[in-house]
Amino acid sequence: MFVIKLAGIRIRIENRFPFIERQCRGYLCEGEDAEFSVSVSPDEILEEQKFGEFSDGYCESICIYRHICEILPSYNIFLMHSSVIEVDGYAYAFTAKSGVGKSTHTALWLKNVPNARVLNGDKPLYRVEDDGSLTVFGTPWNGKENWGENISAPLAAVCFIERGAENSIRRADEEDAVSRLMHQLYLRGSRESVTKQLTLMDALVRGVPYFVLACNISDEAALLAWNTMRKS
Amino acid sequence: MQINKDFTIQKVGGSYVAVPVGKTSQHFHGMVRLNETGAFLWKLMAEKDVTEEALVDALLAEYDVSREIAAADVHRIVEQLRENGIFIEA
Repeated sequence: MFVIKLAGIRIRIENRFPFIERQCRGYLCEGEDAEFSVSVSPDEILEEQKFGEFSDGYCESICIYRHICEILPSYNIFLMHSSVIEVDGYAYAFTAKSGVGKSTHTALWLKNVPNARVLNGDKPLYRVEDDGSLTVFGTPWNGKENWGENISAPLAAVCFIERGAENSIRRADEEDAVSRLMHQLYLRGSRESVTKQLTLMDALVRGVPYFVLACNISDEAALLAWNTMRKS
Repeated sequence: MQINKDFTIQKVGGSYVAVPVGKTSQHFHGMVRLNETGAFLWKLMAEKDVTEEALVDALLAEYDVSREIAAADVHRIVEQLRENGIFIEA
């Protein structure tokens, strides 16, 4: 049992396997008090193992984060599957269908954009603030590249990545953004929770500009995206 | 017709999004996008079992349109929802 702080919320993790505690090293906090506790049953871990040959500890970690993400919407916090890069104090989020090349594009930013660093490469948390703006937080769940830090930054823009022979970028209108976001958000759970998640999604849609980037694997792709999305 | 109660509808950006909740979310994946009129009709159909005629009347009471246009709108939206399988079949 240990306590971590995610997006400003203290969460007690009641684990059976050591994997998750190692994974959460950079997020541990002192003391035992927490907003809520999370644990998973052996049955859930078994269920998760149907999806591949993963260790008990790894599956426990996946299940625990899923539970956390079902509770966090009541704190105005939600998960969006995305790769988020921080540059000069602002967060730039990239999402794409699995396999399109979020990680590849992220690597191109690290190489080409001065001061760029990965906030979280896979599963960051987004918090809707009282003024309608959004803040992105690093989490211990950061993808197979293990890219991420325990930092946060205000969200500047969201970009949907597609593959293209040539590089091009355009603004996405609201309707387009909603359709694309629906594929990246985890909308499951009770009526109360899903309704809350939709109100957070409304804030996300209204909060920042959206872009659609068609790109190949080149330095120019990253520079085009950065120069178009950068917050002046 | 009446809408399966296991949905929640919310305004997201400029339009409405209806998504399944609870058990329905395990077999119905995805969402239904609706405009203002669609959301208005959705709410009526979520409350109780109503006929297309009743929906047309409700639409006429709320919006300044001809009966012909209202009937066409209602029919199109009802058919869309039926294709999406979100009605409780009587």
